[in-house]
Order: sequence, then structure tokens, then C-alpha cells
Amino acid sequence: MTTAWDKLRPYGMVAPAILVFSLFFIYPIFYMIYLSLFDWNFVSPDKAFVGLANFRELLADEDFRKVLGNTSLYTALVVSLTTGISLLLALWLNRSGWFHGFVQGAIFTPHIISLVSISLLWSWLMDPEYGLLNGILGWAGIGGLPWLSHPDTALLSLVLVAVWKGIGYNALVFIAGLQSIPADIYEAASLDRSRPLTTFRRLTLPMLSPTIFFLVVINMIGSFQVFETIAIMTGGGPVNATNTLVYYIYEYGFRFFKIGYASAAGVILLLIVGVLTLLYFRLLSAKVHYR
Amino acid sequence: MARKTMTAAMSILLSAALAACGTGGDNKGTAEAEGGSNAAAAGSAASEGKITIRYWYAFGDKIEEAKQHLVKEFNASQDRIEVVAEHQGNYDDLHAKVQAAFAAGHAPAVTDLEIASTGVFARSGMLEELTAYADRDKDQLQLDDFNPGLMGNAYVDGKLYGLPFMRSTPILYKNVTMLKDAGLDPQGPKTWDELEQYARVLKEKGKNGMTVPADIWFYEALVAQSGGRMLSEDGKKAAFNSPEGVAPVEFWKKLVAEGLIKIPVGDEAGATADKDWANQLSAFKFGSTAGVTGSLEIAKGNGFELETAFMPANKSYGVPTGGCQLVITSKSSGEEKEAAWEFLKWMTSKENTIYQHKHVGYLPTRVSAVQSEELQTHFKEYPQFKVAVDQLQYARPRPMENGYPEVARIVRTAIEKAILDPKTTPQAAMDDAAKKADKLLSK
Repeated sequence: MTTAWDKLRPYGMVAPAILVFSLFFIYPIFYMIYLSLFDWNFVSPDKAFVGLANFRELLADEDFRKVLGNTSLYTALVVSLTTGISLLLALWLNRSGWFHGFVQGAIFTPHIISLVSISLLWSWLMDPEYGLLNGILGWAGIGGLPWLSHPDTALLSLVLVAVWKGIGYNALVFIAGLQSIPADIYEAASLDRSRPLTTFRRLTLPMLSPTIFFLVVINMIGSFQVFETIAIMTGGGPVNATNTLVYYIYEYGFRFFKIGYASAAGVILLLIVGVLTLLYFRLLSAKVHYR
Repeated sequence: MARKTMTAAMSILLSAALAACGTGGDNKGTAEAEGGSNAAAAGSAASEGKITIRYWYAFGDKIEEAKQHLVKEFNASQDRIEVVAEHQGNYDDLHAKVQAAFAAGHAPAVTDLEIASTGVFARSGMLEELTAYADRDKDQLQLDDFNPGLMGNAYVDGKLYGLPFMRSTPILYKNVTMLKDAGLDPQGPKTWDELEQYARVLKEKGKNGMTVPADIWFYEALVAQSGGRMLSEDGKKAAFNSPEGVAPVEFWKKLVAEGLIKIPVGDEAGATADKDWANQLSAFKFGSTAGVTGSLEIAKGNGFELETAFMPANKSYGVPTGGCQLVITSKSSGEEKEAAWEFLKWMTSKENTIYQHKHVGYLPTRVSAVQSEELQTHFKEYPQFKVAVDQLQYARPRPMENGYPEVARIVRTAIEKAILDPKTTPQAAMDDAAKKADKLLSK
């Protein structure tokens, strides 16, 4: 005999999740889209509806184009370097032994440290006058780099920090992926005298493609939303060289009190990340090998 | 079974809620004693004759010490009002938090407010107009005792919105020991040309003249020294691309190119300038007068002699004022506003402005304080404190236009670009910035 409760129970069970999801994800998204149509500073009584003027202004702003460029460059570099380096590391570390275990633990450590602490640490390391990095470079006779204090090197310095922080986690996921590949396929390959490189290209890579796909997507979304390192290490400077989309939104929302304009930039961020994710799922899923 | 669990859960929830009500009713006293910082506590406390208000402030270290001390003294001085002081980071952080709290209907009754932001806060309706309060209590308040040089940012469109609290001007900090070692007259440099000559001599000795960030506040000072203005009279147009506004950038660019001064860029620039000066790599730094006490301690610790001076003149001396004033937020209840006003009057009194000046180095805001026996003796003993007070005659208010925070960002970026990029002339960089600023200001 089914009671009303039996019918309602599943809904009751998912209700908390739905409620939290609606309140903290769905509602803010729609509110942001709504705000993007206004010229408002969050508190003022006059809240003028301006239609798409914020978007027109954004797209006409050369700084915003620069910000989009920075963000794309940053994302491309971080995703390719993190994924590439951690794949190589994973191939090397995917065996037992105390040394490999130690290295794996060591490179994973940055992942569990707060990004704010890491940012402070690296800004000290990268200090042009007093920093350890320039100390070492000077000692090696190479001469120091300006690191965060020059437009040409600032963004690359931030990429370095992101890669340093990211490879441990990525390598760990890659190792898990590698270990889930059945050993008998490798046995068959070696019986067929496949060369190591061929084995890697024709066997490991396709078998690993779900992992690669997963990491590329999450790294990409994460990098597009980079904020902490920029807020703490560069403040978007020098000369806008490290100003990225989320920092731009933050500055306009909470420094210049232009919440409508900031929301419009937020909508654009949402669109870009959404489209990229869709694109990945559509295009790459065709090439991803699922067992 | 399921129903039983539900009933049990409901009854637990209910009893918890009842218990909460009970505590709320019985323990008004404790909430008050603990300085309960939420609105509910403030409300219930009010009904018993004592009201709790929140005060948000910026900055740590000496500044925080002084603010906490003043609040403690205020709470001890009377038994009607309890002020709970809460630290909120630097001015930018503080402003962002006040704005968010105001939007959420939970703003503190009193907050520090950096002077250039008074305009945008007042015009958004976030601040209580103080004109009527000041009129009513004019005998006690003595509004014209405040240094007139500090009142420019207290009024927006002719209405009073804030009382000068921890106010400053930028001054020149000199490492006199380094100057003497280099055979330079420790009285100087008094002009831009002298600054350049000093830096040249220091460079020969392997030292750096000055490390200075391309900070908007220092730039405002150099523009004033050249006889220019940041914005047009009506605030609708940029004026910093005039020859007077371009001169500072040209000066800086030239000195950097010759290796006479260093202009670090990026977020750490200000910290770098302080470090270079503290470690005696640079002989000079610009800094707020708020740093006098702290810098004296550094100089003593590192074994060098410190003097302060006016910022060097170009056509004349000139500086912007800075620092914060105290304001009352407009959505507080009538009772809270009255309590907040009492607190404002007390915090800005003659005795307390003398205290904060001696403890931190900020300006004494009242003329009577400057003339007092206590400060006159203090100035004789520590002349470093007096400089900012004397320099006030050359001071001017900061622009308060709604778009100014963004304009400041644009200007800073333009200056950094002109200095770092050999192909960008100062004039071109400032013209470009002015074009962007005009669009913002004309709205």
C-alpha cells in the first residue's frame, strides 16, 4: 500500500538540495542578468533601466578587450602547461617505491595550502629586490627578472604560480587514470613488440582520454575564474597586464560601485565559460574513449 | 515509522526555538555586556536605556590601537551608549563592505570613510546629513574650530556629511644620516630641481634618491605643486592632461630613465618604497603623516636620523589632504543616529584629536588643539610631527566625483605606462587617460 508520504518522499529528499541550488545558483544567475540591464550602484534609490547599454559599453571598452585577451592567454597557458607537465610527471611517478611516493606527496602539497597564503609567499619570492628567486638568479650569474613588476613578465609569473599549485592534483588524477588501465592490454602490446612511444600514443593516451578531458575542462573553468592571486599579487597591474575577467568584475562592482556594468561583465563570463564547456563536451566527446 | 521520526524532529526543532526565545528574553544583560554586535542585540538593549551601535574602521597597527583605545574610553566615559568597534581592512575593503552591508540593511551606525569617497556615498543616500545636528549642538561642537583646510571634503553639495577624524597630508620623509654622509645639506631638498640634484649626488655614492609608487595621492600632490588641478572646476572634465598635469609624469619618467629614482609598479609598489627607505637603500620616501610614529621607530631601530619636510615644490608647495572622516549611515534608527552623533562629537573633540595625533601622527584636526600647550611642547620635542600641520596651508581637498575612484585607476595605469614604455610620451598617456575620464565624468 502506497501512502501519500511514499509518493512525496523522493521530492522531500531532494528538496534541500534543490532549495540550496536554487537559492545560491539559479537565483543569483537570474538576478545578475537582471542587474546587467541597469545603471545602479547597489544602494542608490535611483536605479535606471538602460537596456543593453552596459554590454555596448563593455564591448567598446579597449580595457575590457585587453582583459579578455589576458584571461584567454592565461587560461591557455595554465591549462596546457598544467596538463602537459602533470601528465609527464604522472608517467614517471606511476610506480611504487619510497622516492616516487615522496615526490608525489611533495608536489601535491601546494594543492592543500590556501591560495591566499601561496600568493603572499610567491610575492615575497618574486620581489625584484629582496626576493629569493632573483637572489638565486643573481647568484647563478643570469641577472634578475622583474617578475610581477613589469607588464611583460607579470602574467607569466602568475601562470607559474598557478601551474606550481595545480600539477600535484592533476598528476594525482592522472596516476589514478593510469592505474585503471588494465595491465593485460600493455602485456598484449609488448608481445606485439610495440615501441614505448607507440604504446603511449596508441594505447595510453586514448585510454587516458576521459581523464585528460576532465582535467582540461576543470582547469579551463578554474583558470577563467582566476582571482585570488591577482587580487593579492598584482591588483591587475602593472598597466592592466594581469587584469582578468573576474578581477575586472570585482573592481567595477566593489571599487567603482557600478554593479550593473559589473553584472554585464559577469554575464559575458557566464556565456564564455558556458559555451566553452558545451564546445568541449560536443567536440571532444567524439574523440574521448569511454570503456 | 517515518511519521514518528518527523514528529520527533519537529518537537526537537520547536523546543530549540522556544529555548532560544527564552534566552533572548532573559539574557538581555549578557548580550549587552558582551557587546552583542548584531542589530537584534542593539534593539533589545535600547529598550533598557542603553544602546549598542557598531563602528567600522580601517587599518591595523598604531591606527587600530588608537581607534580601539578611543572607543574603550568612550564606552567608559558614559553609561548610555556602547560602541562596538570592528576592523574591516583598508579603505577599499571597508567601503566595499559598508556598501554591501547597507544593501543588506545591516550597515554599522558609524564608519570611517576615506574623504574622496564622501561624494559617492552621500549622493547614493547612504549617509545621514549632519547639518542639523551640527546646528543644534553648535556650542559643544565648535564646527569652526576644525582646521578649514580639512573641511573641503566634509561637505557635499553644501551639506555637512562627516567630521574630520584621522586626517593627513603626504609629507617627505628624509634619512638625514644618508644625506650627511653624502655631504648634502639636510635642510633640503625644497624644490623638484634640488630633489634631482640630491638624487644625482646620492647615485654617485651608490644610493638611490627615492623609491616612490605612482600613487594617485602623490600624483595629486605633484600636480598641485605644478599649479594644476586634477579635474575642471565643475568636475565634469579631466584637467590632468594640461601641462601642469603632465609635468609630474615627465619629471618622474626623466628621473627613472637616468636611474635617479625608482618607481616600482604593481600591487606591492607602496610596500617596496617603504622597504627601500627602511633599509636605507633610498634616502627619501613620500608618505602619509600617519606614518610619523611608525617611521620614527624604524629610524631608531635601524640607527639613522629621520626628519620630515614639506613635499618639494615645483611652482609652489602643494598637497592633497587625505585620511578619513567619521560618518553616520542613513538607515540606522533615530536612537542609533543620536547615539552615533554623540560618539562622533566625542571622537573628534580637542582632547581626542591631540591623543590620536601623538599616538599615530595624523593631523590634529582642531585649531585649538594645535595651539594647545600640550601640542606646542610636543612639537618642540618632535618637530617631525609639526610638518604636516604647517603644510596644511598649502593643502587642498581631494576630488569627490562619483566616477573618481575609476578615474584614479585610469590615471595610475597611464602613469605606469608612460614610465615603463619608452614609446609612450607622458602627454600621450595623459591625453588618452583624460579622454577615458571625460566619458566617465560627463555622466
